[in-house]
Amino acid sequence: MTPEATAVEPHVREPSVAPGPAPVPAARGRREHPLARLRGELPMAARVALAAVGVVSLLACWLLASTLWSSGAFRVPTPLSTLRAGVELWTDGDLGHDLLASSRRVAVGYAISLAIGVVAGIGIGSFASLEAYGEAPIGLVRYVPATALTPLFLLWLGIDEAPKVALVVAGTVFYNVLMIADVARAVPRDMVTSAYTLGAGRWTVLRRVVFPHSWPGIVDVARVNLAGAWLMLVVAELLAANEGLAFQLTRAYRFRRVDTMFAILVVFAVIGVASDLFLRWLRNRTAPWARS
Amino acid sequence: MGPLVNAATIAEPKLVVDGLVKEYTSRRAPAVRALDGIDLSVGDGEIVSIVGASGCGKSTLLRIVAGLDHATTGRVEIEGCPIAGPGPDRGMVSQGYSLFPWRTVRANVAFGLECAKVPSRARAERVDELLGIVGLGGFADRLPGELSGGMRQRVAIARALAPEPDILLLDEPFGALDAQTRRAMQDFLLQVWARTRATILLVTHDIDEAIYLGRRVYVLSSRPGRVAARIDVPFGSNRSWQVTRDPRFLDLRDEIRDLLLANG
Ligand SMILES: Nc1ncnc2c1ncn2[C@@H]1O[C@H](COP(=O)(O)OP(=O)(O)OP(=O)(O)O)[C@@H](O)[C@H]1O
Ligand SMILES: [Mg+2]
Repeated sequence: MTPEATAVEPHVREPSVAPGPAPVPAARGRREHPLARLRGELPMAARVALAAVGVVSLLACWLLASTLWSSGAFRVPTPLSTLRAGVELWTDGDLGHDLLASSRRVAVGYAISLAIGVVAGIGIGSFASLEAYGEAPIGLVRYVPATALTPLFLLWLGIDEAPKVALVVAGTVFYNVLMIADVARAVPRDMVTSAYTLGAGRWTVLRRVVFPHSWPGIVDVARVNLAGAWLMLVVAELLAANEGLAFQLTRAYRFRRVDTMFAILVVFAVIGVASDLFLRWLRNRTAPWARS
Repeated sequence: MGPLVNAATIAEPKLVVDGLVKEYTSRRAPAVRALDGIDLSVGDGEIVSIVGASGCGKSTLLRIVAGLDHATTGRVEIEGCPIAGPGPDRGMVSQGYSLFPWRTVRANVAFGLECAKVPSRARAERVDELLGIVGLGGFADRLPGELSGGMRQRVAIARALAPEPDILLLDEPFGALDAQTRRAMQDFLLQVWARTRATILLVTHDIDEAIYLGRRVYVLSSRPGRVAARIDVPFGSNRSWQVTRDPRFLDLRDEIRDLLLANG
């Protein structure tokens, strides 16, 4: 035993030599604040509170902007006057009617786009031959900005509903196809081979394995690309329409009604959030097994 | 014992593999000969094990028997018929979890029966019977995500048994399980076998498992995969963990370990 060790020994044997509170051992590792933990879990209450703070800060920014720029050409309406303009639009104008017209165009166009997306996407994701055949042309056409098709569609399809629906389809269908193809490619090989060894044919595997496995992913893709559908709708309605939300936007522009414009923007945002929540609910409802 | 084993293998083998060669060709690398002249046979109602080091071609062999892959040369026959593709006559439980996570346990087991267009009444009866056999009667309406690993493999085995396959191909079915669960599952498989007398080809890299479950063990060598030895296991079909302490069991285990070391 070394002399040092011997010298230390009494302390070890008789802790009473140093009275008072026992020394607290230093904690190991760094404690992180729960709000700043990388990829940490957050309690529900904190989550809701933070979301509320987020919305309130957005409103606060708006309020601040509306007081800073309250008049002149660059004018921001207050939330209150926006609300008033919205109510006015609802009661005297035909906000409900325009909302319906726009929603119908998006619904029809996006439904067509999704139907094509599901069929072509699952085909491309499941068959190497279809992938080889389809990916190059889709890759080429995809880089044509869909908005650039507007005048062409107006020329070809007139100024009624058809070109608007067609633009919604054109602006979203390639993303839907390619993203749903990725979803279908993610079906585990073992699952497909199991189905085959259980006696399933190709069609059964597609219908009973690939489709159900892809379903929650398809809903997610629909959720993400829905914003693109509204984008295309606005472009179509800005150029040629006599009803619809974006048409009201151009009307408000003619009358220099910034508050009305803001009210319509808020309507867009609310529609977006509502459809997003609905699709999320749908996904959890129809695919509880894939809930994250 | 000896003549009995021979009688079973010579009379009516369910599966015959004769001179099976499998090469994987790719543009980037020289061709890989995964399997090089495999001969084996599995008799009706037998459990036959295959052991070999990782990468020696065990899964490849099973995939070819299942019809999911094709032999480069050689003969693979089930009841005298060559194999063109996968079918419900050859049930397979693969290495990973392959249950359908959106289907309940009951619906997973029913999948093969749905494919065979079995009427729903008969289907329900058969599913209940199988769930009883694998001891999961109380879990029929759960989703696979709610089950433990061992339970999931039991469901996978029940699902593969449902269409009454001529042969059951098991690719390391208990490989992902811990030691205790694994033992329980091995006894479970013996029980299932005692009740169904299914013909089973079992791939494993666990020597004890191969001996404990198999009436015969094929030891594969690595790169290229060849049959290094074909060993008859001298125990009857009523086995319990007692046999693992039998000196013959220990000798066999040493023999196979040496073979794997020499051919790894
Ligand atoms: N699709 C493929 N293309 C090229 N080579 C392959 C392919 N599949 C398997 N191989 C090769 O064939 C050999 C055998 O693979 P296999 O999966 O059959 O091994 P294994 O015995 O099942 O291994 P493990 O015990 O790890 O599951 C390996 O060397 C592997 O690299
Ligand atoms: Mg393998």
